[in-house]
Amino acid sequence: MSTIATRLSRLLLLVASATVGVAAADGGTITGKVEATPAKYLEETVVYLKGPKGAVKPEVKVMDQRAMAFIPHVLAITLGDTVKFQNHDGVVHNVYSPDNEGVNLGSFKQEEERSYTFGQEGSYSQLCSMHPEMLAYVFVSPTPYKAVVDKKGSFTISNVPPGTWQVAVWNSRLKAADKSVTVVAGQTVTVNLAVKR
Amino acid sequence: MTFSKTTPLRLVLLTVALALATPASAIPAFARKYTTSCLTCHTVYPKLTPFGEAFRRNGYMFPGVDSDVIKAEQIPMGQEANKKTFPETAWPSSIPASVPLSVGANGKAVFTPSKTSSAGVASNGTKFTLQDLTPEAHIWAGASVDDNITLWAELTFSGAADVEHAQILFNNLLGPKHAVNLIVGHGFPNVTQYGPHSSYLGDAMLPTMPVTAIYRPADLGADPWTLVDNYTGMEVNGVIGGRFDYALGLNAGKTPGSGLSVPTDNFYGRIGFKVGGMRLDGEGSSGAADATRPWAEDAFGVYAFGYQSHSRVDPSAVAAGLTTFGDTANVIGLGARGTYGSAELNLGAYSQKHNHASDTEGKVTGTVTFGELSYVVYPWLVPAVRVEHFGLKPDGGDSISNTLIQPGVAFLIRPNVKLVTVFNYERTNGFPTTGGWMGGASDFGQHVSTAPASGATKLSEFETVGFFLAWAN
Repeated sequence: MSTIATRLSRLLLLVASATVGVAAADGGTITGKVEATPAKYLEETVVYLKGPKGAVKPEVKVMDQRAMAFIPHVLAITLGDTVKFQNHDGVVHNVYSPDNEGVNLGSFKQEEERSYTFGQEGSYSQLCSMHPEMLAYVFVSPTPYKAVVDKKGSFTISNVPPGTWQVAVWNSRLKAADKSVTVVAGQTVTVNLAVKR
Repeated sequence: MTFSKTTPLRLVLLTVALALATPASAIPAFARKYTTSCLTCHTVYPKLTPFGEAFRRNGYMFPGVDSDVIKAEQIPMGQEANKKTFPETAWPSSIPASVPLSVGANGKAVFTPSKTSSAGVASNGTKFTLQDLTPEAHIWAGASVDDNITLWAELTFSGAADVEHAQILFNNLLGPKHAVNLIVGHGFPNVTQYGPHSSYLGDAMLPTMPVTAIYRPADLGADPWTLVDNYTGMEVNGVIGGRFDYALGLNAGKTPGSGLSVPTDNFYGRIGFKVGGMRLDGEGSSGAADATRPWAEDAFGVYAFGYQSHSRVDPSAVAAGLTTFGDTANVIGLGARGTYGSAELNLGAYSQKHNHASDTEGKVTGTVTFGELSYVVYPWLVPAVRVEHFGLKPDGGDSISNTLIQPGVAFLIRPNVKLVTVFNYERTNGFPTTGGWMGGASDFGQHVSTAPASGATKLSEFETVGFFLAWAN
């Protein structure tokens, strides 16, 4: 009896694994590294794809204000996503951006939060009118295929539909030309990029 | 007019103090800002490399985008995006997280080989004059508030505190980058194409000639106007096309530190160009031909300048019966620098005409010529020889002259600690020796009871060996 049960559980596990494998194999992965000159601006970099739109359900992301800083410093979202701005400081903050359509969420006190759905592609500088040293960026990607680089400049964009797409880079100060990349289902392709003045 | 027995001694101290004017150009605060070595901009400081000269001309900013190369932590006083919200918000800037200060000291020891030389007599036979080894201390401040504005100040302590520099530099105001800059505050007029301390052996690149100090009695001659000094005013300067540069300035002239001088309008201007080597603004440089010798280049630069100084002297505080009188000094000059690899030759000459050199003297025409040849053997070892010649001719009076020949060696003990050894040989004809001769361009005595006269004093002597020591941190 125990043998039958064991065999049955193994069979179920195998079927489940195969199902996951097929799902992963539907898309490919783009990975790589960005080099920035000067390097000190590296962390203000987003890599994204210009091509595949896809049907994407809007999401709600969070940007906190804590210890007199926006967290995270760079937030990448997809066009149509909403950002919930929080205040976990003991002082009143404001969130505004002079970029694109212009945003001003007014003043909000501790534990208060306000949301905004960004209406245009591109970057929005996030500022606090009461504390001019505070700065963050919300980057609104035209597609859901985007990633903020880590401290070493590495990035990974998963579940990319197969096809040939343009890989683009946004940086707060630096620029790079787009690169074309061909994604194959179930495979990982590496793209390295360099941003500079 | 009376003179105390200590007047000669005070004059010696004055001349020594003048000779020890501040060796400041760029400062460790800037090294901290960029987290870079002093040797990025200097060989034996304050002598600047071509890159250091470009940094100075750019208003103490790197070529390209200055903030790109700042490594020291900065505290933003606003964000770039605030420029879009101006005037609702203040224009953004930043301040360094650490106070941008540097400290330093400098001085010299003097060896006088002969007790009977004029220097030996002036020092009362003392062979080793050591009390001036560290007579000056400095606090420097230097920081940028954004990619176009620099703050720069220097406070010198030599008995009393003195603000030697306090300037705000507005860079890149109009047109192409570096074309129009504005300096406001207290500092050196840029009458040369190169830094004012661009000498391995002397304090200043241009020798100064305190004509009125020589032709006026001591009490009236104190605190004379000279071409190279710190004045309060404003200057527009710039580099055009990387090869042409200019400066136009207006300042208040000699400020009334002695209680004698009244602020007046002083004007000056300079034009110049450079061929070969690094551009004057350092933009687009591909580096030195030999990367191990970043100071070396094959280049030639030339410049011309003019200066009109108006001085008004109110002698009532020191001499009864004298009325206020004015003096105008017109200066025109030329300078050139040729570099071939690690060898460099600086040449210059100017004429300085005063129309009222003292309360009794009329016109006096002075001429100054100088040359300095140096070779950077290593970035820490630079032998050089400097020659300065001064001539003075009052209308209807005797011509007098003075020549200094100064071979020497500049050492960097460490990039921020230096020792310069200078041998002073001097020939003079007619210059007064009352104040003593200690070597150096500023070591003119003042006539106390006998006016300068040809043949009155003829000297040709090896006077002193000066050991200049300085550090900055």
